[in-house]
Amino acid sequence: MDYLLIQVTNGAIIGIIYALIAVGVTIIFSILKIVNFAHGDLYMLGGYTAYYIVTFLGVPPLGALFLSMAGLFLFGIVLERLFLTPLYSDRTERKDEYGLIVTFGLAFFLRNTALIVFGPFPLRPPSFVPGVVHVGGLAVTNDRIVAGAVGVLLILALLYFMHRTIWGQALDAVSQSRDSAAIVGINPRRFNSLAFGVGAALAAAASALIAPIYSLSPGMGVLPNIQAYVIVILGGMGSVLGSIVAGILLGEAEGLFTAFFPDPTRALAYTNAFGVLVLMIALILRPTGLFGRRHVRME
Amino acid sequence: MRIVRRLLLIGVVAVVGAGMILVPVKTLLGAAEPIKLGWVGPLSPPGGYADGQLMKDAATLAVDEINAKGGVLGRPIQVSYQDTRGLPEEGTAAAERLISQEHVVAIMGEFHSSVFLAEMEVAHKNGIPIVAVDVWANKITAAGYPEVFRVAPCQALIATQWGNWMVAAGFKNVAIIYEKTDGGQSARDVLLPILQAHGVRYDVVGADLNQTDFTAQIERFKTHTPPYDLFHTIYSEAGLYPMVQQAHSAGFAPTARTGISNTGGPATTPTFWKNVGDAGKYLVTEVVGLPKAKWNNITRAFVANFTKRFNSPPTPQAIENYDATYIIVDAIKRAGGTDPKALIAALEKTTWVGGRGKYSFATDHNPDWHYHQFVDAPVNLVQFDKVGQTPDDAPVVWPRSLATVQYTYKRPPQ
Repeated sequence: MDYLLIQVTNGAIIGIIYALIAVGVTIIFSILKIVNFAHGDLYMLGGYTAYYIVTFLGVPPLGALFLSMAGLFLFGIVLERLFLTPLYSDRTERKDEYGLIVTFGLAFFLRNTALIVFGPFPLRPPSFVPGVVHVGGLAVTNDRIVAGAVGVLLILALLYFMHRTIWGQALDAVSQSRDSAAIVGINPRRFNSLAFGVGAALAAAASALIAPIYSLSPGMGVLPNIQAYVIVILGGMGSVLGSIVAGILLGEAEGLFTAFFPDPTRALAYTNAFGVLVLMIALILRPTGLFGRRHVRME
Repeated sequence: MRIVRRLLLIGVVAVVGAGMILVPVKTLLGAAEPIKLGWVGPLSPPGGYADGQLMKDAATLAVDEINAKGGVLGRPIQVSYQDTRGLPEEGTAAAERLISQEHVVAIMGEFHSSVFLAEMEVAHKNGIPIVAVDVWANKITAAGYPEVFRVAPCQALIATQWGNWMVAAGFKNVAIIYEKTDGGQSARDVLLPILQAHGVRYDVVGADLNQTDFTAQIERFKTHTPPYDLFHTIYSEAGLYPMVQQAHSAGFAPTARTGISNTGGPATTPTFWKNVGDAGKYLVTEVVGLPKAKWNNITRAFVANFTKRFNSPPTPQAIENYDATYIIVDAIKRAGGTDPKALIAALEKTTWVGGRGKYSFATDHNPDWHYHQFVDAPVNLVQFDKVGQTPDDAPVVWPRSLATVQYTYKRPPQ
């Protein structure tokens, strides 16, 4: 029983981190109608930002997390203004392709710049709270507990923002129909920046939370980027709630697969493949994902 | 007046004449065409770019030293550095670029066996010598290509030491996680028959190189009956750090019951302690260089110069690349030129003494990996007994002939 409990606990914590990354991808997709291939690299950048805030400014890790989120929020807006505005121009004929190429280019640029600026050696920020908590046969590190708890709080804050604030509701309106939103007086362009900024800030939070457990490296965003897309598709393209649920589901599925797959020598190697298998099955049963709604291209 | 004019004319002619003679000579002396070498290795993701950077730094140091002493055959050495990103297709492209565009006379480097296997095919096709620096898969030299030389020990040499150490230390039940790469599989294939022959039980789990979460697997190991007494990791990249940390925080290893070890190199890099902290104490790892007690003047000078220039102590991979650079230059010198066949012949007769001892390359094929392998490449196992310890300062536990302590494995207190 302890074994199952610890695997479920660890799976849930990793799932929450997945959800934080994926929900950012979803918000950006639902507003800008582009798949942001640089999201994994914004995630990486957020972790490094928090690390240097702790190292050079002496800010406690939790404070550094929020400062990093603020920094990446602003950086996301700058990136969106600099590179993505052609998406909103009628002169841009192939908007999907433009978004894809620009975010791909951005991903490579950020990753290689990080290599030069931060160096190639992995870095580990200090723990949020050092130590391990033992409850019966259950042993979980404090860093994992903090990552899970803060992750849940951020997700709840996001849901509150999306459903209970005027800005969140306007964001949702733009995601459903830019033209209709414009008719009721919402400026969709302003919300493009907001969406990209919020997405980048959530990625930063995920990275800062996981860094004491996994360490930071310039290439750390590659795998989470892939997992984020699995989650976004699984949850339903454009659905924030779908991304949260699918993120936690994927974390649990991967953990439990490793824990219980009959051939223990192959379980770990096939963990990521199992995530994709879950996606395939889900899409056969529900082609629009768990909470998907049909989306159109940028109007 | 006429005399003055004549003297002026003679003066001008003399100056112009001297210039016509001296300028070309000076041009020839000052701009001697450099001898171009190629370097391949990972300098960006997804490859092991941290190790690649250290290797590149070491090569740069060696080239600067060689050029400061006048180069070789009166010509400076110039190296074209190619980032292969840990991808075989990038390795092929880099080797082709070096040979067909840069016209290098020899290639050195690489950290990933799978990438080197691709690069050596290009070198073999073009007849250009290539020196493998930190790639361990047996099949590299087992291919029997005359162009391929290796300064690193191969898995047959390394994993045999590991197997013998595990037997000598009395481990009976070993949990192994290995990276699913040519290097990782080669290590596994050499190690398992040794354990089997000595009745040591084991379970082997493969993992992707970019894996960072091992908690579920470690928890699974913890439930095994009878309990494992050693957690052996065959991992050459930064994934080792979260693995060591997670094994420690889960209470699996290192403990009084279960030891921990790593083969592959990441425990010898300067960032190991920054990433694992206390979890790294009691870990056993290999050093593919001379133990500190056996250092020669070249080793000492290299360590001092590298540390001074790059503000960080070198790794065994770094000194391998430093020596590889000198070995190629030594071969060029003895060959009296850069003809590839003459260079290969000269490399075969290498007797150069470097920072890792006296180099020579076997020319027999028995066993197959012997061919052009530095058979006497040093391999020793060290166990960290202090947090923050450098591998050079850690006690040598294996082989016993080089051991600096009585024990073969020191367990943490209960």
